[in-house]
Amino acid sequence: MKKKIRLKIRRHRPESKTPPSFETFTLTIDADISILDALEMIQSAQEPTLMFRRSCHHSSCGTCGMLINGEERLACVTRISQFKGGSITLEPLPGFPLLGDLAVDMAPLYKDIDERWNYLRGAEDLGGKKLPEGIKRFERFENCIECGCCVSACPVAGEGKPFLGPAALAALNTELQKTTGKGARALLKQAGGERGERLCNRILACSRVCPTAVYPARHILDLRTRLRGDGQGT
Amino acid sequence: MEHIIVIGGGGAGAALAHDLTLRGFEVSLFEKGDLLSGTTGRHHGLLHSGARYAVHDRAAAAECIEENLILRRIAPQALEQNDGLFVAISPDDEAYGKTLLEACRVSGIDAKRLSATQALKLEPALTPEVRVALQVPDATIDAWRLAMHFFATARQNGARLHPFCEVQWIDTRAGRVTGVEILNYKTRKTSIVKGDLVVNAAGAWAGRVAALAGINVPVQPGPGVLVAVEGRVTNMVINRMRPAGEGDIIVPQRGLSVLGTSLWLTDDPDDVTLPKKHITRIIDNCSLMVPAVGGAPVHSAWSAARPLIRDAEASSPQQISRTFECYDHKDTHGVEGIVSLLGGKATTVRAMAEKTADLICRKTGHKISCRTRTTPLLSWRRFYTVGAEDGPSRSLT
Repeated sequence: MKKKIRLKIRRHRPESKTPPSFETFTLTIDADISILDALEMIQSAQEPTLMFRRSCHHSSCGTCGMLINGEERLACVTRISQFKGGSITLEPLPGFPLLGDLAVDMAPLYKDIDERWNYLRGAEDLGGKKLPEGIKRFERFENCIECGCCVSACPVAGEGKPFLGPAALAALNTELQKTTGKGARALLKQAGGERGERLCNRILACSRVCPTAVYPARHILDLRTRLRGDGQGT
Repeated sequence: MEHIIVIGGGGAGAALAHDLTLRGFEVSLFEKGDLLSGTTGRHHGLLHSGARYAVHDRAAAAECIEENLILRRIAPQALEQNDGLFVAISPDDEAYGKTLLEACRVSGIDAKRLSATQALKLEPALTPEVRVALQVPDATIDAWRLAMHFFATARQNGARLHPFCEVQWIDTRAGRVTGVEILNYKTRKTSIVKGDLVVNAAGAWAGRVAALAGINVPVQPGPGVLVAVEGRVTNMVINRMRPAGEGDIIVPQRGLSVLGTSLWLTDDPDDVTLPKKHITRIIDNCSLMVPAVGGAPVHSAWSAARPLIRDAEASSPQQISRTFECYDHKDTHGVEGIVSLLGGKATTVRAMAEKTADLICRKTGHKISCRTRTTPLLSWRRFYTVGAEDGPSRSLT
């Protein structure tokens, strides 16, 4: 069924002199398409220079995080039909440097996620009785797609405090599950440091907005519990 | 060294920027959207063993298995290395399996025949109707992260990468290509960038880029539909044991199963049409191999335009070869200073880059050999931290 919708998009190019403003685009579309589909339609038919990030279209790459009616979500797996009324507001993720319109620079997210942290883990048991010849264990990618939604939603990170933040702490705890000995002690020290878990106020915004069920707040609680158990917490 | 301008920030541009910087060239890359916003990010996420092409497209099969083994070594963090199965569920499938096994052997693809019982022990979600299976070295790719490995390494080695910068004009006034005019979306300003050689690596959009230099290239956008359903129901890639067709593959990735695909031909690479009947047919066909994907909620569906090379003799779109070709437009159109890289696949981007960089070396009179086969790629995360120690001056453009 076709539906007429208005997308109110925040337009701003920090490197040009124009001030920020909202521009409204009107589309007649199937309501079961995604916000990303709608953005692509606007780009191809109405405004070719609209800036937004996108890649995989199925919540694996983590590039299309944005504020959709004020909440951090991935545009690719958020359907128009999820919203009542004919108007949806789109804004860039707060907390990251703006490149233009809906596109932000993700560099701050990676400041505290070590590039050596392993992105693979053992896959879930699907009931197989044997492994294929030559395969030692079934592996899969981690669920965290580093989209930045949790960091954007975190009130502590938003206040500009020097906090490692929910994405880095979740990644750290994930790495900790795969690490023993000296490496594990170093990770715990980092988590228990001045920029670590102690700054979390348990608002749980990170877990609420996470689009891939990583639940960073749970990782932070794990770290807190473990640090106190190890006598390294505050 | 010479300054090479690469147009297109997809997988081909990423691998080419990496290869060229390793050989010592100066590289500037321009992409009108964000990096990987075209076909590369949207591909199925299959690291081909080559078995899918072994029977009808031997060139592509040989390229795939060679690159498959290389990528496993140079970018292991971008792959779920769980192998794949071709499964027969009908007598016709089983008959095709014999041809397939022989074709794999000829192409050097390590394929092992498994009985139905053996296959079900590996993957209990397979239909009990399975008759026989072949184990092949397929794997799952994180499409975005694999290509970002190439970009990260290129950037670390000095490539200048410019997303959100559209090439609007290619300067051929001097009788050869001398540079390009860029519209920077961030500043809304245009500028001229001079270069010694331009590479058109725009994939399905290569026809539009070549037209900026008055050149016609035989690119044929060939979109296909992909459907991600909730739930990881197998760990191995599951292929139907029959000639390439619609809805014949399931690629597990994280907690999803990605089903594919279809193929039609279009002139417009931006065509984002998503035919609903393709989605239904793909799910129906895939559920014949793994029934659980039939009832799973659809997580997302999308289409991606393959950058096929036009082939008037192919009897159907599926028969168009998935190999790649570099065109020196001095030879094809008498225009010096521009080459186009057409065709190819995500699995073969490194080889595509090698062949193109070899051509660039010949054209510029350098004898520098390719090192990308053995150079481990840096993490995709490095892309965001290159030069971070220099403070806020770090910028993409």
